[in-house]
Amino acid sequence: MNKTLVASLMLGAAVMVSAPAYAIDSTGCGLGSMAWRGQSGILPQVAAVTTNGTFGTQTFGITFGTSGCDPNGRVTGGTQKMVLAFLENNLEQFAMDAAAGQGETLTTLAGIMNMDEKTVAEKSYQHFAVLFPDENVDAVDVTLRFYEIMKA
Amino acid sequence: MCGGHGLKNSRVRLFRGLLMRKFVLIAGLLCWTSTVYASERISFAYSPEWLALVHYQKGWFGYEGTIGSDNFYLSPDGRTNPQKELEATIALFEGADNEKKCLFPARYMVLKKHGLVKTDFLACQEFEQFKDDLRPAGITLLFTDAYMNNSSSLFGHTLLRVDTARKGTQLLAHGVNYGAWTQGYENSFLYAVYGLAGFYPGGYTVKPYYDIINTYNNIENRDIWEYNLDLTSEELDLFVAHIWEAGQTTTPYYFFSQNCSYMLMELFDAVRPELKLAENFKAQTIPLDTVKAVNAREGLVKAVNYRPSRQRKIRHRLKQMNKRQYAAFLDASRLDLEKTENLPDEEKADVLETAYQYVQYQYVAGDLDLKDYRKKSFNLLKARNQTTAGQKFNDLKEGQNPVLSHDSMMLGIGAGVRNGDFFEQLSFRPAYHLLTDNGFGFLPGAEINFFDVVLRHYDRHDKYVLDKVDILQLSSFSPIDAVFQAVSYRINLNVSRQMNPKTENEGYVLNGSVGGGGTYALSDYLWLYGLSSIEAAYGGFLAHNQWAGAGLAAGVLLSYEKAGLQAEVKKIFATDKTGSTLNWSLTADYYLSRNLAVEAVFNYTQNYGKNVTETLLRFKRYF
Repeated sequence: MNKTLVASLMLGAAVMVSAPAYAIDSTGCGLGSMAWRGQSGILPQVAAVTTNGTFGTQTFGITFGTSGCDPNGRVTGGTQKMVLAFLENNLEQFAMDAAAGQGETLTTLAGIMNMDEKTVAEKSYQHFAVLFPDENVDAVDVTLRFYEIMKA
Repeated sequence: MCGGHGLKNSRVRLFRGLLMRKFVLIAGLLCWTSTVYASERISFAYSPEWLALVHYQKGWFGYEGTIGSDNFYLSPDGRTNPQKELEATIALFEGADNEKKCLFPARYMVLKKHGLVKTDFLACQEFEQFKDDLRPAGITLLFTDAYMNNSSSLFGHTLLRVDTARKGTQLLAHGVNYGAWTQGYENSFLYAVYGLAGFYPGGYTVKPYYDIINTYNNIENRDIWEYNLDLTSEELDLFVAHIWEAGQTTTPYYFFSQNCSYMLMELFDAVRPELKLAENFKAQTIPLDTVKAVNAREGLVKAVNYRPSRQRKIRHRLKQMNKRQYAAFLDASRLDLEKTENLPDEEKADVLETAYQYVQYQYVAGDLDLKDYRKKSFNLLKARNQTTAGQKFNDLKEGQNPVLSHDSMMLGIGAGVRNGDFFEQLSFRPAYHLLTDNGFGFLPGAEINFFDVVLRHYDRHDKYVLDKVDILQLSSFSPIDAVFQAVSYRINLNVSRQMNPKTENEGYVLNGSVGGGGTYALSDYLWLYGLSSIEAAYGGFLAHNQWAGAGLAAGVLLSYEKAGLQAEVKKIFATDKTGSTLNWSLTADYYLSRNLAVEAVFNYTQNYGKNVTETLLRFKRYF
């Protein structure tokens, strides 16, 4: 048996033994990847949310491998589009930071909105119950409320 | 061609002479400059700068481009002829095909710098958009540690981050990943075989950094190490332009050699040719080795930052809890907040935040359904928002930098006694790490032993033998407690020289073993484990050529500062008596330095009344 075959067999065995527990786009060393120009399935839906104004249903929950609102998988667009894309992908971390009044997502949002970090943190903390009125909120609702709160 | 020009008409000597002299001078000068120009082109075509930019590697038969896509080469011979490729590239920029020019902004920058093209580079809309989205401020090499649930990620992973100048944080930066396009084949048994054989095309993807963090830190629970590079602004521009250039191409993906990490080495070389990183990784490219190589280049890495996985962050917080906080946390993660409410105000926030993180962890692990997950998440945060005092726990900021871990290859030299026979032993292992090796910088409890070859010389019969080849040993020991419950496993495939107890003949046996079980941590340093396994062996000298069996193993793992120890007892019940063994083993290592260790091994196997006792002392040198 040559070396490659032996290596293949045992890696094959390893693959079978250690089948991933969930079917997401796992990005190990070179296995699994998203498209350079966004051919992945979830992207068009997310893009539709922002371009048509027909709001999708990205509700509270960890996003598995979606990638912003941009078909190229990049951070792009105007402020509102960026805020929505960011919240779509970081909602569960943002919820935590808003509840605590500090954290990386608040600093990032302050940057996107060109606002003072402290103001964004304080307002998010004070209005957490408005941002997250119940457990079924979606990212679009949160974004719209976030905007209202920051403008006030 | 540039010879002398003789004078033929003497009547107008002076005038003509002057003129001719001028002409000769000018012609000579022209010839000279064009010769210089041509030789300049030739010498530039074979300069490290051009060779690295077009990804040429020198092989047995001359130069060959690594990149697979045909459209990366402008000349029909471009893949193997750097000079023709250079000529074709110059011709492109002197021509009118603006669309094609836009695919090669890095080549333009380099040629312009060397005065080999004089034309202007028209703005390319897509490329400009790319730069505008990325707003590059720097380049960071990312290393994510091993992921034991996916065979392709056992050795970790490397990717790049194009740091952003955007206001906010680096969450808005972009990760650039080189990987294989495996769509549709993920569940195939041939998945791995294809990966080894170069069946998948490899290509680049770009994603926001928050997506990368989500994938590695939060979903796969892997640490991310960030190595921020010290580049000039000119190098940064070239890097981004070259990412764009290479990003349009695909190349056959080879799991062991031309993988994610290797292609990044060629990217680095393209931007700073004197780094000569790629040439170190012709045969095998282990991600961590490339990270070490980058760190070893003087002045290349200017800052290191650590982003622990969600699981590590939770563990770090759990360690800081007092007893009543821990009890409140366990209840809170089941949404029983009574104990939390009874805590002093300043102790509440940390409990609720940790419980929230843990709920996220559980949801990803598949332990919670969406409805339950949302309800818990929402209510924990609502309670957290209502606490008056904030976080008291410190965040985990320091880790064991993998760059300081022992190197991947290992040479072992030692001597021992087997049933009274003295032997000398030499062993070589191309990769990677065993539990008794120095664990600094490695994922705790994880081991990958790959192609460990052991040769021996027995003194009594003056005989050289191949003692063992550990084709693969793969283990993941993960302690179970009230919070985290992971299965421990061990897979082993080896060829070893064994004695048939009936005939006392020796021969080679192919052994396979797959086991699962649990690990319990008595402390950070001392773990106990138990595994049950399925065993099989195949070998010409065995009774029926083969046997199958079941195994039970119990062991101790100790890891403390400069020492590592593993002790195990394992019983195998097999279909044939040759396979039914009881084995006691002890391996103890002492680390003399990062890359040098001394090891003592004791092995006692009872088999059919014929016992084998073996002791070994050896030095292990990593390199």
